[in-house]
Amino acid sequence: MNTAFWIISIITVLGAVLAITLRNLVHCLLSLVVCFFGIAAHYFLLRAEFLGVAQILIYIGAVAVLILFAIMLTRHVTGMEGPRELGGKWWMGASTAGIIGVLLWWCVRREVLTAMWPSSEKAQGLVAVIGKALVSEWVVPFEALAVLLTAALVGAVVIALEEVVRKR
Amino acid sequence: MSIPLSYYLTLSAILFAVGLCGALTRKNAIIVLMAIEIMFNAAILNLIVFWHYRFGASVTPQMFAIFAIAIAAAESTVGLALVIAVYRHYRSVDVDEMRSLKG
Repeated sequence: MNTAFWIISIITVLGAVLAITLRNLVHCLLSLVVCFFGIAAHYFLLRAEFLGVAQILIYIGAVAVLILFAIMLTRHVTGMEGPRELGGKWWMGASTAGIIGVLLWWCVRREVLTAMWPSSEKAQGLVAVIGKALVSEWVVPFEALAVLLTAALVGAVVIALEEVVRKR
Repeated sequence: MSIPLSYYLTLSAILFAVGLCGALTRKNAIIVLMAIEIMFNAAILNLIVFWHYRFGASVTPQMFAIFAIAIAAAESTVGLALVIAVYRHYRSVDVDEMRSLKG
């Protein structure tokens, strides 16, 4: 179990680092997919199977394809190697991220969190339990979420079509 | 299973810092969005880790994570639509060039 944790963690962090450092946008996206797969594997390790499958379906199946469409729509040549794409004063951003990372790590090192928490044996992400909860106890937030997703879909179409509507 | 809780929290902190670094340093708006997705994933991983170690019998934390994932998906949809709208206007997705509102 420990070996699996280390292997998956290294793959996840490597995917994330490559996703923000590579120059080719499509390569960045592929590294991001590796990172998402690693996180899904972590969910399986933590026995949250439903979340793991949802992660693969939503992030890799939907969000990654969406980003790929955005890359294809905003670049003339998808395989183009762009110039160095760091923003002005990038070192300020990098040092801010470093400081916040060190702060987070400092918070994690507190005794409450480093104490040996027992792994919950009851932790079971059973799909049947989650399905029943979604349509009984959580039905109102669930429907609200459906409305939110519909609104986001319509909003995205409206925003992306704005120029075309104006030209008519 | 013998992985300490703090290992997972450290992994999550590293992912968050990497995402933040990408969001603050890159010029391409699509990469900024991808970095924000990494940060979202780090936060959701924290939720699941605490569910596993503390609230294993309850289904509520998993619900939080599911709703967070769905809202992140909605966010990325609208964000990418905005990127495409900006590209149509400026012919570029460089965040340093989007400064019409700068005083």
